[in-house]
Amino acid sequence: MHLSECTGDSESVLRATKPTISQIVLDIISLDYHETLMAPAGFAAEKSLQDILKNKKGQYLAVYEGAVPMKDGGVYCCVAGKSAIQIVKDVAAGAMANIAVGNCACYGGLAAASPNPTGCVGIQDVIGGAVVNIAGCPMNCENFTATVVHFLTFGALPELDGNGRPKFAFGKLIHNNCERRPHFDAGQFVKAWGDEGARQGWCLYEMGCKGPMAHQNCPTVRWNGGTSWPVMAGHGCIACATPGNWDAAYPFYKRMPKVPGAGVMANADKIGLGVAAVALAGVAAHAAIRTATKGKNKD
Amino acid sequence: MAKIVVDPMTRIEGHMRVEAKVEGGKIADAWVAGTMWRGLEVMLKGRDPRDAWTFVSRICGV
Repeated sequence: MHLSECTGDSESVLRATKPTISQIVLDIISLDYHETLMAPAGFAAEKSLQDILKNKKGQYLAVYEGAVPMKDGGVYCCVAGKSAIQIVKDVAAGAMANIAVGNCACYGGLAAASPNPTGCVGIQDVIGGAVVNIAGCPMNCENFTATVVHFLTFGALPELDGNGRPKFAFGKLIHNNCERRPHFDAGQFVKAWGDEGARQGWCLYEMGCKGPMAHQNCPTVRWNGGTSWPVMAGHGCIACATPGNWDAAYPFYKRMPKVPGAGVMANADKIGLGVAAVALAGVAAHAAIRTATKGKNKD
Repeated sequence: MAKIVVDPMTRIEGHMRVEAKVEGGKIADAWVAGTMWRGLEVMLKGRDPRDAWTFVSRICGV
């Protein structure tokens, strides 16, 4: 179901590789309603939807893209003369599972960015929980197809975290799996776009990267069939799978305060050198004492 | 005179409603409306211009 959205999550899912979207749509599921892909339009499209709600009650998987504008009775997003609020309530009621894709459908996302002009919220706030949130802006297609395949294989949804996100995809901090992490530990930071550090692939923390607050599997799964991901391409993370990131992670180019451990390895090297110097001094002192003792014994 | 309403207009990005007035088998007049508004213009007010792209790139994800 398309709500207050940009279709970026549909675009994302078209790029799925494991399995591909064509395998899922042509071989595994029946895609009965998707406004961007379906052949019918107007009343014929609406008939497709109403037929599912009536004839497939409790047998369909409902997927939502986009937030739900609650302000002014829901006038800011309407399809076939009905508000997004009404559509979500009608569709969710008969679904065997509800999946929100993208941060707008999960938590309001960009549509809810300050000052949230249309009063947008996520699906879970409209139907009161029981939603799987495939967060991200857009969501990573592999995380979505993996959730659908998990559901079809085991007849149950994957284990979720406190934000309704599957743990297999959102259980780890981006900062802890980032290929630039050694540069963070070594205190090697990009200081300006295009500087020597940027060319060397150093850490983007000082350029505002929000990897230390973001949970997602971008560094391992990556995007476009495992080709790359934003930090690999040279831009900081904007914590796009974090609830309220458009305010919580904003400004995107301002350094996060108080992330512990910056330059910890560089400091360890210095401490190591210091310890070595003390040890050498100890050896020298010990040798001096031994020499003195030797002399004394001689005497 | 007949009136045709196409809502939703499918295979596009976004939400659109088309109303057309038909006379003698031909469209005599038509009204097209976008039926979704998020207010990105409002969100951008007061922000650093260098941040704008992150917001406006989400106008359309296609």
